[in-house]
Amino acid sequence: MHRDEIPPGTLYLLILKTLARVGEMHGYEIADSIQRISDDVLQVEEGSLYPALQRMLIKGWVKAKWGTTAGNRRARYYQLTALGRKQLETELSQFERVIAAITRVIQTA
Amino acid sequence: MDWLSELLRRLWMLTRRRRFDADLEEEMRLHVELRQQDQIQAGVTPQDARYAASRRFGNTTLLMEKSHMAWGWEWLESFLQDTAYGGRAMLRSPALTIVALLSLALGIGANTAIFGLLDAVMLRTLPVKDPAQLILLGKGNASGITDDFARTQLYSYPFYRQMQGENQVFSDTAAIFSMTNGVHGYVGGRTESEPMNVQLVSGTYFSTLGVRTVVGRTLNDADDNSEGDHPVAVISYAWWKRSLARDPNVLNRTLKLGATTYNIVGVAPPEFFGTKVGEAPDMWVPLSMVKAVPPNFGGYKDNFSESLLIMGRLKPGVSIDEASSNVNLLFRQILLGFPDAKLSQENLQKLNKTKVPLTPMATGLSSLRRQFSEPLQILMAVVALVLLIACANIANLLLARSTARSRELAVRQALGARRTRIIRQLLTESLLLALVGGVFGVALASVANRLLLRMVSGGLDPIPLDVSIDTRLLLFTLAVTFATALIFGAVPAFRATRLQLTDTLKAGRSPQGASGKNALAKALVISQVALSLVLMVGAGLFLRSLVNLNNVDTGFNKENVLRLNIDSSSAGYTAGEPRDLALFQQIEERVSALPNVKAASFSAFTFHEGTWDSGVVVPGMKIDEHIDVNHNVVGTGYLATMQIPLLAGRNFSPSDTSTSQRIVIISEHTAKTLFPRDNPIGRHYNLGPDNKPEDDVTVIGVVKDVKLDDLAEEPVNLDYMPYTQRPWDFGDFEVRYTGDFAPVAAAVQRTVHSIDRNLPITRVTTLDEQVARSFTDQRVVAQLSAFFGLLAVFLSCIGIYGVMSYVVTRRTNEIGIRMALGAGRPKMLWMVLREILILVSIGVVIGVPVTLAGDRVVSNMLFGLKPTDPVTLVSATVILLIVAAIAGYLPARRASLVDPMVALRYE
Repeated sequence: MHRDEIPPGTLYLLILKTLARVGEMHGYEIADSIQRISDDVLQVEEGSLYPALQRMLIKGWVKAKWGTTAGNRRARYYQLTALGRKQLETELSQFERVIAAITRVIQTA
Repeated sequence: MDWLSELLRRLWMLTRRRRFDADLEEEMRLHVELRQQDQIQAGVTPQDARYAASRRFGNTTLLMEKSHMAWGWEWLESFLQDTAYGGRAMLRSPALTIVALLSLALGIGANTAIFGLLDAVMLRTLPVKDPAQLILLGKGNASGITDDFARTQLYSYPFYRQMQGENQVFSDTAAIFSMTNGVHGYVGGRTESEPMNVQLVSGTYFSTLGVRTVVGRTLNDADDNSEGDHPVAVISYAWWKRSLARDPNVLNRTLKLGATTYNIVGVAPPEFFGTKVGEAPDMWVPLSMVKAVPPNFGGYKDNFSESLLIMGRLKPGVSIDEASSNVNLLFRQILLGFPDAKLSQENLQKLNKTKVPLTPMATGLSSLRRQFSEPLQILMAVVALVLLIACANIANLLLARSTARSRELAVRQALGARRTRIIRQLLTESLLLALVGGVFGVALASVANRLLLRMVSGGLDPIPLDVSIDTRLLLFTLAVTFATALIFGAVPAFRATRLQLTDTLKAGRSPQGASGKNALAKALVISQVALSLVLMVGAGLFLRSLVNLNNVDTGFNKENVLRLNIDSSSAGYTAGEPRDLALFQQIEERVSALPNVKAASFSAFTFHEGTWDSGVVVPGMKIDEHIDVNHNVVGTGYLATMQIPLLAGRNFSPSDTSTSQRIVIISEHTAKTLFPRDNPIGRHYNLGPDNKPEDDVTVIGVVKDVKLDDLAEEPVNLDYMPYTQRPWDFGDFEVRYTGDFAPVAAAVQRTVHSIDRNLPITRVTTLDEQVARSFTDQRVVAQLSAFFGLLAVFLSCIGIYGVMSYVVTRRTNEIGIRMALGAGRPKMLWMVLREILILVSIGVVIGVPVTLAGDRVVSNMLFGLKPTDPVTLVSATVILLIVAAIAGYLPARRASLVDPMVALRYE
């Protein structure tokens, strides 16, 4: 199966969007969800999720609390904050602007 | 406030580091395990599933580190780590640490101490409002009273008043009496007099400076607008504390100076010491009281009694050039406008040529600065060089240690530590070393500062200078410390991390790396030697100058003379009154009669105490022409006391009284200048510029020339007059004695007090010390540069010893082979010694031109020899060679004692 690297800088966007959709998830769920929804096209080097989450914690975009999984394991669940929602909007509109621009360039040819 | 809450989260993280790392690890483990389960469910074997999960997850350690870095504290953590590591490294090699810390403490301490003094004397601005706006008329390097026409250094009181009223460039103008009056006054209600330094100032002094009092009021212009009726004083904070125990009721206290009682109207702020750096008056009194304050100078209304310094505060927006043209215009106008101006051809010419220079006085006035700015700069350079040598030493020690640690560093690099990270760690270690050294240095400086001030004060009361360690000084020290760490730490750090990894790991020692390091170490030793030579030669030159100064023939016999000051004017005596003359004669007679006293006499001056001079006129000289002659007013026994040989004519005698013919004894040089062709005995001249008949004097004798103010001076014109004929408020009293100083000094003081117990006696010392005090600056430089020169050589020796020990250790097997092949022990000894001598010789060859270039700068401070003095240069070189050979002997001997069997087995 062919897997594409995710474009640089979009990892935050993907995490933010995923959390916004579902609400509360732990790290593995986030990675899994991104892959499933993208039909396994978007391949996150799964570990790199964690440094990103750490940075998002500092920025105050997400907050975390410990809970238990379905399999009764301790896991850290992440949740969007108000700041995170605002950030998601910013990133989305930025992403759309870029994509639109790229699309225009490609179609003009 | 996003950044603030972000910072709070970061700080939270910092305090919960361990928890956070554990959480992260657990989270990641869970992730990999969940992925593994997923795979197993998809039918992969557990083993493969684990590999796949790990692969998909990535490098856990790296990711942990990245997450960790996200919190932004890694610099702090690695710094703390490095510091702890550095601390352990310091403890692990205590010998190195002690040597390094000691040399750093000495180096940094010396730099701090000298800079502290330099700052206090030369750089610090006055603690007043906007000191940069303050301008002085003239250069501020004169003090005294003169009636010379068109002087730009000193001004009369009427001149000051006109300048104050008419100038358009100063917002405020003030005058300062150019001398401090050393008075023995009484605090109201006390019966014992105490010394008080009184500074006479114009009423505008404090307002011009923008200085307010902490208690009461400052002086004001009204205190200074009519002569003699404003007995008020502002006292210094230090004096308030010292003499009045900070009495809160100070405004009701009084002072008695001479015959007048003064009200204390205010206390100056603690940081305010006046306007002269190195002098701290106890009180300020308005100039209107100039005649009332002992020694009663006067001249308040005299247009040509020039004794004041004038300063102004520039109006905003006025440049110094504008100020200069306005001041110079007024200078001419005011002088020409005085009705009693002597507008002779000569004076008019002089006025036309004269321009008043304006000097910024942000850093205050100071005679101390003139005397010590050059010595202090030289000493600053000396201690900077010493610190450089210390740096070279420590760099060498660190290099040697980094060789010992090369394996450790190689292992760390092989395990993936970045080179920058290791360099940073090594630099942190250096910084730690430097900082600890710096702390010791500051401690040392706080002691050395006071010692230095005592040296500079030349045996008198310490000069009132604030040399305590302040923030400014600490910043300087911190900067020096960082620079030091960089200088001695950078090269070894870069060296140590440039490794042939495989070689180092394989053998534990690498021949190539070592030889490169050897060369570097040797270069450091060579530069140490070169710098040491510079310092040694400098020290040698200064010491020999000092010896030359000590051996200068002063013209009088400075041995076995006691001198002291008797302040008769403070005790109510007035110059020229019969009571005054009787007092002087009685003291001279009674003291001369004491056992162990051979002669005693009052005098206006002895040596290095200033002078009184005037332009004398010899009959037959052209009108307007005069010759400048210094005068001394003395007692009958003065020549005998000072043992100044009489060359012709007669000495003073008791029959020379106020009513007899006015007589004078002149020096050899004066005789040649005034009467080049004739026998001077019996000739006469006039002291005055005004040629008044009472100023006509007849020469009765000629004496040998003496030094008057300075040991380096050429013979000057000097004459002596008896105090019976020329009233003088004496300060100086000289006693020629035999035997011990102390009992004679006590007996003399007892005798003086038995005549009048209220006579204040000060500055009891020997003439020898007084002469020595005239070259305090040279002595300070000589002593300190000798000390630092020795220190430099000592440090260099440690360097040589260290490097050669290292070289010998590295070459043990070579030495073993040589010995096995039949080379004798003496040959081995010589082999090592030869290497040392070569190093030192190269150092000397480099050092000599540097020395010659550097020492030319100090030629002003030398006396009786040239900066290229070959004796000094050769002896410094020889000493350096001998000392270096001694330092190298130990490692050389070790080389000669190498057992070939052991050495070869080592291989």
